[in-house]
Amino acid sequence: MKITDLTKTFGKITAVDAVSFSIDQPQMIGVIGPSGAGKSTLLRMINRLTDATRGSIRINDRDILQLSGREKRRWQRDCAMIFQQFNLVPRLNVVTNVLMGRLNGHSTLKSLFCIFGRHLVDEALAALDRLGIADQALQRAETLSGGQQQRVAIARALMQQPKMVLADEPIASLDPLSAEKVMTALREIRDRDNLTVLCNLHTLDTARTYCDRVIGMLQGCIVFDDVPSKLTPSVVRDIYGAEQELNESMTSTSISGPVFTPEPLRIRKAALA
Amino acid sequence: MSLHAIQTEIMAMEKKRRLYSMAGIVLVAAVLISGYGMANDLNSGGFLTGMKQFFDYPAEIVKEAWATGFSFFPLMGRFVPALVETLNIAGAASIVGGALAVVLAFLGSANLGVKPPVVVTIVRRIMDIMRAFPELIIALFLIFILGSSPVPAMIAVAIHTAGALGKLFSEVNENADADPVEGLASCGATWLQRMRYGVLPQVLPNYLSYFMLRFEINVRASAILGFVGAGGIGMELRRTIGWGKGAGDETAALFVLLILSIFVIDQLSSFIRRRLVTGRDSE
Amino acid sequence: MTSSTLAIQPPEPITGSTAVFFRVRRESLMIMAGTGLTVLYLLYTFISFDLWHLISRSQPQRAVMLATDAVAHKVHVTKNIRGAGGLSIAVEGERTATYETPPGWVTVSDDMSRVDLGRGYQVDIYDTHVVFQIPDIGPVHVRITDAGIETTLPRGVDPPDWLRATPAKFDARPTIGRRVQVSKARIEVHRYFMGWENFFFPFRSELAGYSPGQLFSLAFSDHRLDPDMANWRLMATTFWNNPGWQHKQVFVALLETFLMAVLGTITAALVGLPLAVLAAANFTPAQALRFAVRRLFDFLRGIDMLIWSLIFIRAFGLGPLTGALAIAFTDTGSLGKLFSEALEGVNRKQMEGVHATGANRLQFYRFGVIPQIIPVFVSQTLYYLEANVRSATIIGALGAGGIGLMLVEAMNTQRHWENVFYLILLTISLVMVMDTVSGKLRSRLIHGRSGT
Ligand SMILES: Nc1ncnc2c1ncn2[C@@H]1O[C@H](COP(=O)(O)OP(=O)(O)OP(=O)(O)O)[C@@H](O)[C@H]1O
Ligand SMILES: [Mg+2]
Repeated sequence: MKITDLTKTFGKITAVDAVSFSIDQPQMIGVIGPSGAGKSTLLRMINRLTDATRGSIRINDRDILQLSGREKRRWQRDCAMIFQQFNLVPRLNVVTNVLMGRLNGHSTLKSLFCIFGRHLVDEALAALDRLGIADQALQRAETLSGGQQQRVAIARALMQQPKMVLADEPIASLDPLSAEKVMTALREIRDRDNLTVLCNLHTLDTARTYCDRVIGMLQGCIVFDDVPSKLTPSVVRDIYGAEQELNESMTSTSISGPVFTPEPLRIRKAALA
Repeated sequence: MSLHAIQTEIMAMEKKRRLYSMAGIVLVAAVLISGYGMANDLNSGGFLTGMKQFFDYPAEIVKEAWATGFSFFPLMGRFVPALVETLNIAGAASIVGGALAVVLAFLGSANLGVKPPVVVTIVRRIMDIMRAFPELIIALFLIFILGSSPVPAMIAVAIHTAGALGKLFSEVNENADADPVEGLASCGATWLQRMRYGVLPQVLPNYLSYFMLRFEINVRASAILGFVGAGGIGMELRRTIGWGKGAGDETAALFVLLILSIFVIDQLSSFIRRRLVTGRDSE
Repeated sequence: MTSSTLAIQPPEPITGSTAVFFRVRRESLMIMAGTGLTVLYLLYTFISFDLWHLISRSQPQRAVMLATDAVAHKVHVTKNIRGAGGLSIAVEGERTATYETPPGWVTVSDDMSRVDLGRGYQVDIYDTHVVFQIPDIGPVHVRITDAGIETTLPRGVDPPDWLRATPAKFDARPTIGRRVQVSKARIEVHRYFMGWENFFFPFRSELAGYSPGQLFSLAFSDHRLDPDMANWRLMATTFWNNPGWQHKQVFVALLETFLMAVLGTITAALVGLPLAVLAAANFTPAQALRFAVRRLFDFLRGIDMLIWSLIFIRAFGLGPLTGALAIAFTDTGSLGKLFSEALEGVNRKQMEGVHATGANRLQFYRFGVIPQIIPVFVSQTLYYLEANVRSATIIGALGAGGIGLMLVEAMNTQRHWENVFYLILLTISLVMVMDTVSGKLRSRLIHGRSGT
């Protein structure tokens, strides 16, 4: 996959500014950067939830950005997306939520009447089982905890049989224990299914722990693109500004570290907003 | 601005507001007094004479009904088919109108990504017009073309229902959470699938609640339209009332049937609506 | 899914994938069953309404008739065969609207009259013989003989489908606006003109036939047509008393319908509010009183507007008072119920705050309660006002008078479709104007007051 000159402007704001990079083999990539850097916009453009202003995303000589209609939806199924707020359907039960991953290609009539075949249900259950929440299959999604809901979302992504997975701050509203489960699950997609996982993160140590490659963004531009070990304090300061002098481990998601407090993170976000 | 200035301004505003309220009250009183005066003059029977004979008619009916004794109940039974017809007019009109309302509401909601956005404006105008059209006019017009039958009333009520429910439904849609829809879009779901799974489950309880309310209103409307030739219990009433004296027992039977069924539907609909609302709150 | 919206099912332990599959399948089966039952019910109603028979019996030509008459009027040129053989030319065949001197498109001579229908269509009427000149077809001869009506088409022309020729009657309508009918009793030619005839002034009036410009200058000219009054007054009275269009009666009817709705709604709101206080649990501790008032609301609503109207029509006769009272009775119940629910929902804190300042009872209501329920009061009353304008037309049609009754009567006479259309237009305009005004008022009053 090769992204060239990808740009998105909202009125006067340039959210993503001529971004270019390529992904040659399956890897787990963390995208970091301060709030408003354009991380979400980048992912949403890859999934085609947001239309790009300029640029191209090429896979095997096919420009993803030129797809429309049925082909565009097919691509959306191929590149599953996971959201910070889970974006499940709260009133439907968990299996049905996972089955939503296969709406693409499901006939209109069958979708209207909620008809899903045995093999699809079994597949959905297998996905849930893999994430350890098969027992909740018949519960309504809204009755689950945040961490469980995010795992349902990942199960839905697996159900899509994707070629790559995008995750937009998947652990931002989770407690450390759930966050670890979710990150492990994502890492497993990379290792077991051998898929590319592109994951927006705002905690550096998560990126260091789980990712093969880190892309740092600042004001819509890529300012860093390398292995996590190259993420030296001076680089971090370039990306985040001076605020990152705040003890980095305070924003850690690892349970072994100091007690997780989300406050410093919010202060930083607010300061940059 | 000094404190004093603010105070004076507040006082002035309060004074102005009070003036407006007073003017409003005086206006309403004037409308009421002159309106009733005018209405009394235009009326063929005056208020005072009317008050004197107000109970004559109900008393006459009750007396005749009382005279029939126990056979009043079989009499009521005889009119059950007419009642069923009225209920069917209301039921079919609610379903047809409600289904149309769902379609219109989805096309007329600004937040659901309807493709050319003009469609939303156009559909909203269509709903406004459907709502404004008096049922009587559509019913009379269709009775004129189709002849006396329940279908004109059904169509008339359905058109009004589509407009009225469509507007309420689209307001519900516009308050729906967009996250599930976005989640489905990221899986490659079509617009119809996104609406079916992303929006419909969220809005369905509210839809049902409004639908029940509308059904109750439609039963009343169907009964009343029967009187202008649309069949059902209204038509029977026109027949028995047209005969003048002597059919009081039949009129009474029809009144009792209508009142009973409206009472039952009223209770049923408020029970269901309460359940829908509390079901939502307890989550 | 439909079922799960009613109540939340408790999390059940699952025993395996089969159980889950059956649950998923069950939901889809329930949705299908619901849809199927609904469709079946609709089928049943359509069968019981006898829809197919109805469609076959319908008279769509009536809609066409209404539509043409709604926007056009016709002038009849009639010749009676029996009796006096003269030619009469009258708007819509009305005796009161007969031309004394033929209009320019009719020429009358001793043995024949010629009616020019425009665009090459032309009818020559002899004693018992009509020649209908039709472009592209040629002359069609129609003779009235003792044996019946004899029709001769030009050689080699097949009878078109808009022409019916039997021994009893000849009827040709090559275009919507031109028609020739011949029977043994009479010859009748119709020519249609766009617009409503004599809408402003009656046919016989000295004002008929002036152009708008002429009328305008006439209105301010000192040369009086009627020595008793100025020209503009003459115009106004002639218009107002136009017998064909009945502007005065129509205006009164609209006013009656309007009065029914406005008086009925305001009365219901003003009576409903104090009663609502008595029905609200947080204002009236006496449970028996509360119960009684609530049953009163149910009673008023349950009787339904139809029955109230019939009772009031009996007691009070035809007129706006009848309609207003019927609306007032029904909606006192509906509005009272709504208001009492709103009162039960008022914010306690705000009320207690006012109480704490040592306000007396009147001040307590004025500052603690009224500001909170005014928006509900105003918006619901206005909603009911909108609905009641429509209801008032229906109550009128039941016999209370107003525009509804006028409309029913105009439709029942089955003539003067332009009048029917005019009444429909007026009714819809009344409803739409009321909708707009009430919508404006609603947003004005509520948003204007929200700051206080
Ligand atoms: N729909 C939109 N309309 C207008 N501006 C937008 C829109 N979406 C994003 N932006 C702007 O684009 C810029 C980048 O936003 P984006 O959400 O991509 O940032 P982010 O890196 O994901 O930040 P965060 O960490 O807070 O999620 C911001 O300045 C934002 O205000
Ligand atoms: Mg973001």
